[in-house]
Amino acid sequence: MPMTEIWTQATLWIALAVIAALLAIGLRIATALSEIVVGILAQLLIGVVFGSALLAGDASWLKFLAGAGAILLTFLAGAELDPAVFRKEWKQATLIGLVSFAAPFLGCAAIARWALGWSVEASWLAGIAMSTTSVAVVYAVMLEFGLNATYYGKVVLAACFITDLATVIGLGLLFAPFTIKTLVFLGVGAASFLVLPWLTPRFFRRFGNRPSELEAKFLMLWLFGLGALATWAGSEAVLPAYILGMVLAGSVGKDHALIRRLRTLTFGLLTPFYFIRAGSLVSLPALVAAPAAFLVLLGAKLVSKIAGVYPVTRFLRSPRQEGMYTTLLMSTGLTFGTISALFGLSHEIVDQAQYSALVAAVIGSAVLPTLVANAFFLPRHLLTTIPEEKP
Amino acid sequence: MIGKILLGYDGSGSADLALDFATGLACRFGSELHVLAVARPLEVGDDVETLAVVENSRHRYEQLLRGVREKLANESIKTEFNVVVGHPAEQLVRYAEAHQIDHIVVGHRGHTLFERWLIGSVARQVIAYAHCAVTVVRDRGA
Repeated sequence: MPMTEIWTQATLWIALAVIAALLAIGLRIATALSEIVVGILAQLLIGVVFGSALLAGDASWLKFLAGAGAILLTFLAGAELDPAVFRKEWKQATLIGLVSFAAPFLGCAAIARWALGWSVEASWLAGIAMSTTSVAVVYAVMLEFGLNATYYGKVVLAACFITDLATVIGLGLLFAPFTIKTLVFLGVGAASFLVLPWLTPRFFRRFGNRPSELEAKFLMLWLFGLGALATWAGSEAVLPAYILGMVLAGSVGKDHALIRRLRTLTFGLLTPFYFIRAGSLVSLPALVAAPAAFLVLLGAKLVSKIAGVYPVTRFLRSPRQEGMYTTLLMSTGLTFGTISALFGLSHEIVDQAQYSALVAAVIGSAVLPTLVANAFFLPRHLLTTIPEEKP
Repeated sequence: MIGKILLGYDGSGSADLALDFATGLACRFGSELHVLAVARPLEVGDDVETLAVVENSRHRYEQLLRGVREKLANESIKTEFNVVVGHPAEQLVRYAEAHQIDHIVVGHRGHTLFERWLIGSVARQVIAYAHCAVTVVRDRGA
């Protein structure tokens, strides 16, 4: 492919990223969400006017940038873990996190299989894509109510990591062929996760903090290396990335300057390609022609998350309003939901219509619970004298 | 008698006008002035970015409040500065109740249509839910 063509396509994609960022700022929504929506619309409009080849979403350079974005974003998500809290509350957190994963995973897989008639593999993938949560969204809620320092807040936050960990493990291993390659991947991965928490801080202390940005290169070396090993074994690159983030949360995760630099690299260059590409692969006509799958999956996710998580929040003595608010916010999960759906499409586990329904349901699960939570369950527990009239 | 005044501050033009008004009020009545900035998470958030937004917003408000602190350094009033995370109206009302505030001062400025539809005006919500008197300072130029 001539370089002029690559630069032109890159300009088009970055222009879409700029539009998406402006949209996100204006609406105060996650950039990932606006990038997916811009990707959907761009594919539709550009496809109609100039033909679908213009976006060239399957170009290898673009797939690399998009894949690298998913890996780094997943790593950063894992690095948000607070290891001290996790070590202290891991039993409770594991129980809640697994419930939060298993309820929508099994519920949505069953609905996809028996209500929508999807294949067994496609149904499992639907379960995984719908099982996710968003740690950062829940963390923001905890900060809002001052719950991040409480036992309840710490347990729920640690549980969110378990939910996402179960999601990436499910995605990484459920569809793996389980050959000798899988064992090699698991063995090398386990050794890396044991060695790197010891090696990384020492390596950074000795060679880091220079303009050459050795820290970022060192991390990408391991992320890409383990990602290559994972895909060679038929697994998924985000699995080692998330676990690496978690095991390095105590060292890399605490280095705020490094995390900020990695965010700049990730949000500034890489993830726009991932999320716009994810959106561009959605078939809006297919979605409009058969919206039932999207609505059924979205409903199944919300109902199963509420059925699984809300009783646990009550068990932890959270007030009713806060419990429902937290539950609804735990029903979001754009990043891992999109990653799971795109994994399914690229591995031909789901077809384009199923992928479109999954992405639409993931988008719906990012928007609808938040709107419902803010409209009906915002805990005004201190506002005991709320007047009857609407403001 | 106004013992404690709470000012909701976001660095906007109307917030600066509200600051001048609240300072004048505090000087006149010998009140304690609490200045609260609220770092807002995204309306629809996602992993990593939500945390980055909250961190950036907090950092920005801490810097803004440093400027306000310097501006009020020569005033003979007792002041307190805080940055919290959440929805501005709810956090203002919550803070006011927790600190037995007698009077809340907020600025009023334009919002995007989406913001208005989603949460309504901050000033309007504070008026509706606050337990004490509220003054809304409007920036006529905005």
